[in-house]
Amino acid sequence: MAGVQPQKTQRDGFLPIRTNGFDRGFISVVILILVHLLWMRFLEGVLPLWVATVLCLALAVFIIRKG
Amino acid sequence: MRQSNIGWLFLTPATLILFVVGFVPFIYILYVGFFDWNTNAVDPTLRWAGLQNYRSLVFDTTFLNSLARTLVFAFFVVVSELLLGYVLARALMADRLWGRQFFRTIHTLPIVVAPIAVGATWRLLCVPGFGIVPYYLKLWFGIDYNISTNAYHAFATAIIMDLWHWTPFVTLSLMAGLTALPKEPLEQAQIDGGNKLQIFWYVIVPMLKPVLLTTVFIRLMDALRSVDEIWMLTKGGPAEATRFIGLHIWINVFPKTDYGYGAAMSLLTLYVTIVLSWLLFVAMTGRKGGAQ
Repeated sequence: MAGVQPQKTQRDGFLPIRTNGFDRGFISVVILILVHLLWMRFLEGVLPLWVATVLCLALAVFIIRKG
Repeated sequence: MRQSNIGWLFLTPATLILFVVGFVPFIYILYVGFFDWNTNAVDPTLRWAGLQNYRSLVFDTTFLNSLARTLVFAFFVVVSELLLGYVLARALMADRLWGRQFFRTIHTLPIVVAPIAVGATWRLLCVPGFGIVPYYLKLWFGIDYNISTNAYHAFATAIIMDLWHWTPFVTLSLMAGLTALPKEPLEQAQIDGGNKLQIFWYVIVPMLKPVLLTTVFIRLMDALRSVDEIWMLTKGGPAEATRFIGLHIWINVFPKTDYGYGAAMSLLTLYVTIVLSWLLFVAMTGRKGGAQ
């Protein structure tokens, strides 16, 4: 059909679902927000919040490249 | 002009409207969420607070309880409406049902009533000492039904009110979906010896998945932002038994004018709504190796 492109960007990574680039970016943002909220609730007295940011950014790169 | 350019041209008005009424307020709320802004405070201007609103939020038991209560409410109403809606859709589609058109019309009437009027009507029906529901429950069953003092009664009434109001919408959606289903796969399944449960689970549900998904999304998002009906019915009481998240945000933003904190609460609620909807979508469509 004209105008309909095959979805070439979807792939199977280590995530339990088939994803494209937007999905992996979205999952990274969702995890980043969740980890920051939980960190503020339970860990901020022990470890500063920027540690969570660094960990989440590293995880985001991993998810986007390998997810 | 290329076909894709014409498509974008047609999309431009809708995109512009969505940008103005959806994206711009979202960015503004995101911005306000990083500030301490209360117009009733000594300093009514915006003061930078960084993540302090979110820090307060994760320790705010009233907010967290309100969120949990809303999720329980949404679970009960969405599941019940889906089950009831399906049963009613099948019943209203049955050829042997006498007065089918009349029942369809009567059944659809609650959708057109404004939520605030629904809340007021149910308040009048259920208010202790005046409404007919507590009167007859006491007279016939000896039940001391009181939505002003009993938290369980108030919560259950909120659920029943939502079912009364929104089940017809689910019925209509499912009726539209069921009517559009092709007959051949159903006949094929019958010839192959499938019983009614197998046909329902392996043939009807997969074919009905897009309609089910859309209906559940709409009802889930609506249930997570119930305000006006609940406000009219119980005003969030007794104590905080029916203070759902929308009502809790409204109380903080308007009577208390705590805009920064209200913005943070709204964003966290939006986050929960988006994540829940996405998880639901993935569970129903995106499993590895499953049908796309």
